[in-house]
Amino acid sequence: MKKLIEVKNIVKAFDKQVVLKGVSLDIYENEFVTLLGPSGCGKTTLLRIIAGFLDATEGSVIMDGQDIASIPAYKRDVNTVFQHYALFPHLDVYDNIAFGLKIKKMPKDIIDQKVMRMISLVGLEGFEHRDVTMLSGGQQQRVAIARALVNEPRVLLLDESLSALDKNLRKEMQVELKEIQREVGITFIFVTHDQEEALTMSDKIVIMKDGEIEQIGTPVQVYNEPVNEYCAKFIGDSNIIDGIMKKDNLVNFDDVDYECVDYGFEENEAVDIVIRPEDIDIVPRNRGLINGEVKSVLFKGVHYEVIAETSSGTSKTVIMHVTANRDIENKEAHEKISASNFFMDLEDVDSLTDSEVIARANAQAWNDNDEDVSLTKIKYHLKNEVGTYPCTFGTDAGTEITINITVTTPKVVEDEANEEGIQAFDFYKTVDEIKESVALDTDLVRWADAYAWNMEDNSRVEIWDVKYDFDDETIVEGDYPVTFSTQGREIKIETTDRIEEGERIGLKWNPEDIHVMRKMG
Amino acid sequence: MKNFSKLIYPYVIWMTIMIIVPMLMIVLYAITVRGNDVLTLQFTLGNFLRFFEDSIFPSVLWRSLKMAFFTTIICIAVGYPAAFVMAKMKPNNAAMCVLLVTLPMWINMLVRTYAWRGILTRISLSSEINVYIGMVYNFLPFMILQIYTSLSKIDPNLIIASHDLGANDRETFLRVILPLSLSGVVSGITLVFLPAVSSFFIPKLLGGGQYVLIGNLIEEYFISTGDWNFGAAISLIMAIIILISMYVTRKLDKETPEAND
Repeated sequence: MKKLIEVKNIVKAFDKQVVLKGVSLDIYENEFVTLLGPSGCGKTTLLRIIAGFLDATEGSVIMDGQDIASIPAYKRDVNTVFQHYALFPHLDVYDNIAFGLKIKKMPKDIIDQKVMRMISLVGLEGFEHRDVTMLSGGQQQRVAIARALVNEPRVLLLDESLSALDKNLRKEMQVELKEIQREVGITFIFVTHDQEEALTMSDKIVIMKDGEIEQIGTPVQVYNEPVNEYCAKFIGDSNIIDGIMKKDNLVNFDDVDYECVDYGFEENEAVDIVIRPEDIDIVPRNRGLINGEVKSVLFKGVHYEVIAETSSGTSKTVIMHVTANRDIENKEAHEKISASNFFMDLEDVDSLTDSEVIARANAQAWNDNDEDVSLTKIKYHLKNEVGTYPCTFGTDAGTEITINITVTTPKVVEDEANEEGIQAFDFYKTVDEIKESVALDTDLVRWADAYAWNMEDNSRVEIWDVKYDFDDETIVEGDYPVTFSTQGREIKIETTDRIEEGERIGLKWNPEDIHVMRKMG
Repeated sequence: MKNFSKLIYPYVIWMTIMIIVPMLMIVLYAITVRGNDVLTLQFTLGNFLRFFEDSIFPSVLWRSLKMAFFTTIICIAVGYPAAFVMAKMKPNNAAMCVLLVTLPMWINMLVRTYAWRGILTRISLSSEINVYIGMVYNFLPFMILQIYTSLSKIDPNLIIASHDLGANDRETFLRVILPLSLSGVVSGITLVFLPAVSSFFIPKLLGGGQYVLIGNLIEEYFISTGDWNFGAAISLIMAIIILISMYVTRKLDKETPEAND
C-alpha cells in the first residue's frame, strides 16, 4: 500500500491550551483509519487540521509528498461528513449531493450521472427531490456521505458521523459504511469515541489520549495487545490487575505466580496485567488457578457477566451496642429528653465542641406538642486520656439526661499484603435509630467512623462492604458485630453457564490469555 | 381552554368598530357621489374614473411606488452588508451594534424627521433627494434587523461544509449564505416598502411641498379640500396596490425556506 497522508509532529494550541501535543501518523491508500478517544482527546482537532478548517500551530501534514498547510480547505482533495451532517436546508437531496460538482462547473449531464450513481450507492433512489429537512437521521446521514463521496476525494473524513443515530441504525450504518469504503476504494478517516464502532469498521485504530497517540494498530492488535492500562480499558471489557513481572514468562499478582507468554521486562518490574473476561473459564473449586466466590451475576443476552472475588479486602469488626430507647420525661415541664452514649477518638478530645457532643450523642428534647426544645445546658469534663466520662444535657425547664462518653483509641487493622489499613470504633445506637435508617450501610460506616487507607500513599480507600448479622426491622437490645471491609480482588468473567451468586468456584485461563503491559507514565 | 376563548370578544368588538366599519365606510365613500345623505345615496364609479383620467394622479401614484421601491433597494444595498458584518462579529459586539441600530427608534419618528429638516434646509439638495434621505434613514433599521436575524440563524457548519465541498468565499456566499438569508430580506421588504409607499409626513416635511406623494394626496383631499369621496377612492386604490404587493412578497417568502438548524 502507498502512503497517502503523513501527519508529522502536529501541535495545536488554542490560546494557551495545548490540544495536540506532537502527533505523528501515517495513513495509507484505501485504509479505514479510526481515531478513537474520549471527548477532549484532540481527535476532532486532528481531523479538522487534515480537512483544512484549522491550522496546526506546529508540524505539518504531507499529502502525496506535498505539505498542504498552505492549501485552503476548498482546494484540498478531502471531503468531510459532519457530525450533524450540515446539509443545506434550502436545497433538496439531489442539489445537496450535486453541490460540489456544480462548484466545479461540470457539464450538467455528467453531474446528473454522478449524482444518480451516488444516490443508488447510498440507497436513496426515489428521494432525489425530497426536502432534506424532512428526512430521517439515517437518510440525512446517507445524503451527507453521498454529498462528500460524489466529489471523488482521495480521503473521506467522518467526524463522529454515526453518533446522532440510534443504536440499531448505527450498527446498520457501520456495516454499510465499511461496504461503501470497500466499493469506492478510498481512504476513510473516522473519528469516534465508540470502541465497538472502531473495532467493527477499521483497518487501523489510533487510540488517543490528552492530545497524544497511545497506540496504533489493527483492531485485533489493540484488542489483544493493548500497550497500557488506558488502551486496555478503552477497548473492550478487561480485568486490569497490578502485578510484578518475576522474570520472562512468569508474572505474579496477589502473591501467586502465573505463567504467561510475555517477556522483555526488567526483573521484578511492576506491571499491569490484562485478562479479558471471555478468556476465563469457570471450573470446580480447587481445579483452577485461583479460587473465588461469585459476588454478582448479570444477564447480558448472549452471556452472563459474573463478578468473582478471589481474595478478600482488609476488614475490621466492631461491636454495635444496641440500647432501648430511653427518653426521660419531665412531667411538670411537659418535656422529654433523650441522648445516647458514644465512643470517641482520643485524638479528637482537644477539638471537641458542644455542638459536636450534641450531634454525636444525638441529644434532643421536645415538649408534649412535639416541638423541639433547645438544650441550654451541656456539662461534661473530658480528660486527655482513655476512660469513660459522664455528660449531662439539660433544658431551661430543668429536664436533664446523663450519658457516658467513652474516650478510646481506634481499633486499627493493617493488612501488609493488601497494603491497606482500616479503622473503626464501637458505637451505641438505639433500636429506633436503626429502624429509622434508610441507608443502613452508609449510616453504619458513619456511626462507626470507619475509614480505610492505602498504606503506601495514605490515600483514602473506599469501604466496599459492610457485613452484619441482624435484621434492622426486628432488631432488639444487645451487642452486634459489624464488619467493614475494603474491596478485594474482583475478577470479571463472561460465561454462558448459569452460575448462582455466592457459589464458590475455581477460575482457569491459559498462559497466553494473560497480557502484561508496562505501567503508564 | 373553552372558557378562555371568550377573551377574544373584546378584540372582535374593537376590530369591528375600529377597523371593519371604517373600511366599509371608506368603500361607501369611494363609490358614492359627494353631498349625499343617508336617504338619497347615489352610487358612482366617477371617483375612480377621475383618478385615472387626470394624468396627475396616476403619475403621483407611480412616483410613490417608485419612491418606495428605490427606498427599499437602497435599504437592502446598505442594510445587507451592515447585517452581514454584524452577523460575523463576536456576540457582545453584535449585541452592541443591534443596540446602536435600534437606538434612533427610541425617539419619535416625527421628531427625527423635523431634525432632518433642520439639517437639510442648510444644505440645498433637491427635494427628491431630501425625501429619499428621510425615508432611508427611517426605514433602514427595520431592514438591517430582519437580515441580521436571518443571517445569524445560519448554522456555521453549513459554511464550513460549503468550503469543504470546494466553494470559495464568493461561491459560499452566493450558494449558501444568500439563499438562506432571503427570508430575512423578504420580511425586510415588507417592513420597508409598505410604510414607505403610504408615508405622507416625510415627503411633506422634507419635500417642502414640492414633492407630492400619494399619501399627501389623500391627506389633502380629506383635510384641505374636504372631498372625502375622492380621498376615499384614492385610499382604496392604494389599499389594493398594497394587498397585491403583500401577496407577491408572501409568495416570494414561501419559496425561500427558513434557515433551520
